[in-house]
Amino acid sequence: MSNRLSREGPPLASLLHRLADTPVDFLAEPCIRGAGQVHVDAVVGDLLTSLGVAATARDLERFAGRGTGDRNMLAVTLLLCWVLADSWFASAAPAQADLQRLLSDGASELAAATAARRFVDDPDRREELVRVTLAAIGCRPAGESEAQAEDRLTSLSAAERARVVEAARAAELRARQIREALRKRVAEESADKWTRE
Amino acid sequence: MLRFLREHPHAPIYRNESGNRLTAADLERVRAFEREVLAADVGWRAGEEPSWIQAVIEKCYGDVPFYRRLGAPPHRLADVPAISRADLGRDIAQFVPDSAPVDRLINFRTSGTTGHPLLLASHPVVAASYLAFHKRALRRLGIELRHGRGQVGVVLLGHQRECFTYVSVTPTMGESGLAKVNLHERDWRDSNDRGKYLAALDPEVIAGDPISFAELLSIRPSVRPRALLCTSMALSVALRGALEEYFKCPVLDLYSLNEAGPVAVFDERAGGHVLLQHRMFVELLDGDGARVVPGERGEITLTGGFNFCLPLLRYRTGDYASLRLDAGEPVLIDLAGRPPVRFRTMRGEWINNIEVTHAFRHFPLAQFVLHQNVDGALRLRLPESFRDDADVHEALLALFGANQLVEIERVRDFGGKVVQYTSDVPGAQP
Repeated sequence: MSNRLSREGPPLASLLHRLADTPVDFLAEPCIRGAGQVHVDAVVGDLLTSLGVAATARDLERFAGRGTGDRNMLAVTLLLCWVLADSWFASAAPAQADLQRLLSDGASELAAATAARRFVDDPDRREELVRVTLAAIGCRPAGESEAQAEDRLTSLSAAERARVVEAARAAELRARQIREALRKRVAEESADKWTRE
Repeated sequence: MLRFLREHPHAPIYRNESGNRLTAADLERVRAFEREVLAADVGWRAGEEPSWIQAVIEKCYGDVPFYRRLGAPPHRLADVPAISRADLGRDIAQFVPDSAPVDRLINFRTSGTTGHPLLLASHPVVAASYLAFHKRALRRLGIELRHGRGQVGVVLLGHQRECFTYVSVTPTMGESGLAKVNLHERDWRDSNDRGKYLAALDPEVIAGDPISFAELLSIRPSVRPRALLCTSMALSVALRGALEEYFKCPVLDLYSLNEAGPVAVFDERAGGHVLLQHRMFVELLDGDGARVVPGERGEITLTGGFNFCLPLLRYRTGDYASLRLDAGEPVLIDLAGRPPVRFRTMRGEWINNIEVTHAFRHFPLAQFVLHQNVDGALRLRLPESFRDDADVHEALLALFGANQLVEIERVRDFGGKVVQYTSDVPGAQP
């Protein structure tokens, strides 16, 4: 077992409550190519400043949204910003590299499998996001041993990965069934409508 | 009825079979939907979106694979990414909701007039529900359909070398007859049978496109339909006038898409195409995907619809218009539909542009443009990445004749939607 969770952080429950009570501004639509309501790059910039980290314009570029494919990742980044804005993190003085890795790579990994809103609404996903946040800066929830914290995070992530793999398999199977159904002669020959375009 | 349609001594060669495939429960659903369509108000207030939009967004983001991958449903329609025909073409399965029953799917194959043919997901109830919108359109002109058992309700016309033809019945109209007929001479034992057959059927409605209607006029059949329904391509004022004069009935110019069904009908009093679907919202977008200023022209972009196997969220149609709200009723002004084009072959005969679409159906061409010069030579523009020039060339020669001149030009980028078929040959646009 690694010692990456060597520091004790705040009680898990306090961050879970914070995430469950995420204000609407942090749930709003990320700005992408002129559409949306929240400039995630600005939110990240403000957060880093409040944590005593100097971010360059280039550091923030990736949070400006290159296309709709970034939408969920940016929405997760907003949630991470909300959690990291808890006063405990300012006192913990997290390292700049850890924060930037969490807000970009960490957000991408979380967003790849799960819609951002589930990290607020679903208890297991809420716990996963909070534990991932703490682990990213080398912390574990207060009152837990390193081994307990590692095990719980692994178990949450593994369960989610299994769910995602199963969902992807089912989705591909259904997509194949749809494509096959549409190609069948009988499908073509039953489009019985009064006008043809 | 089916035997009458198929075995009439002047009947054409029917090449296919079709059926409505409606269950008793489906029929109830179709009837209820028709009542809803005929009673509904269509429209919204200026600057507002209909109240049902958010429910459609949430349903799609929960139930449709393409949208589910984008995360949580946005709270504003403007935050939903617009999609186009190219998105549907990449993999239609990603746009079919999980709730759609795979075992009852049927397909709508696009005409390919403005792009490569597409297979779209649909359902027998959706196909049967077209009639509700036709009735709504007819009602604007004071026409209530009155045919029933033992009569022919509609004849759908095509005029193509290859055409999907069949006979069927319409259960919601007392099992009245429906015939999809190809007016091309190769589908008839004797070309004079065309007029005789149509006269024998005496349908209450005839549906077609400008090319098949132009052919119908040349046949001059002794029929008295109560209305003509024109879809697929822009109807010229001249042809419309000639049809109305000959058949002594109104010609309804429908704006209809396989992706969305009948969207609007032209109403001279309204000065444009009035919308027909009460669960369809229309935005007009500019090239950057932003809504245009009220009154300006933009790309018609659809949200909603009645095809529960293919719900639309901000679907860019590739067609353009401006939008006016007349007391809350939306009217599409100066709708630029798909211009009909026919090509002259080396044999001296006219062929419909859809023939070319069919001939190219099996080539992996996302886009192409075919133009016929006034001297009859063809200029074909193909994407730079396409390699099967020889096969395409051969397909054109098979269609146009062995001596046909074909010049092939490479294009790196077509720059969005193109007018796929054009011609300088006089008479190319009926």
